[in-house]
Amino acid sequence: MIERFTYPSTLEAERELVQVLTERLEAAGVDDTTTRRFLLIVSEVFTNAVIHGNKSDANRKIEVRFAINEERITADIIDQGHGGLERIQRRPQADSMSEGGRGIDIVCHCASNVEFAEAEHGGLIVSVSLDISEKMKEICE
Amino acid sequence: MEIVTKESGEVSVMELRGRLDLASGATLKEEIKNLFEKERTSIHLNLSRVEFINSSGLGALVSIMKEVRLRKGRLTLSDLASYVQEIFDITQLSHIFEIFNTEEEAVNSYQTVQAG
Repeated sequence: MIERFTYPSTLEAERELVQVLTERLEAAGVDDTTTRRFLLIVSEVFTNAVIHGNKSDANRKIEVRFAINEERITADIIDQGHGGLERIQRRPQADSMSEGGRGIDIVCHCASNVEFAEAEHGGLIVSVSLDISEKMKEICE
Repeated sequence: MEIVTKESGEVSVMELRGRLDLASGATLKEEIKNLFEKERTSIHLNLSRVEFINSSGLGALVSIMKEVRLRKGRLTLSDLASYVQEIFDITQLSHIFEIFNTEEEAVNSYQTVQAG
């Protein structure tokens, strides 16, 4: 089942989303390591959507589609900005002393799969998934 | 995020509790700025009770390090939980920051540097 949430483009909304997803993952019995990793991924993508996608305009919304099954956790995060796909493709690499620019790299490292696409209205869709069994195997090792 | 500050000789030790993100990172930068105004530039951050950190929180730490270096001071970190250490490793910031296993080791290192 896919759950859909809609948030304003604020950092308070990011915290609210993380809280909601924490409850969902706890209820599903997901281990702490996987939970932390997934929340980090979602936090990074949502923060990017607020700041870079929707330019912190609280009137612009961010839609989150969340699903979990025995094998993986997935989320689609969709902003209402413009040119997001191009921005992702042309993003500069963060150097060691940069204060920003590390979010997408963290997402790509932590997630099992990441896909970027342009929404019909021009916003950016970031689809992330985290394979539960893969991470659980790492923990058992 | 809650910030508990104490003085250990010349070193200002701050224990961070909770989330380190964009909003709390800004709060932390303000607290550090207050230390600068008191001419305290030897700063240690104990991260043992950081429950969550994202790239915005890391950005705040990089910003603080740059400010400390501008003032010829020193910034150290300690007690990183494994999930926090992992994020430092992913972003290669482990090589940029001085990271100690414990607060005691970090604080002692200031005395060693001064004695040397």
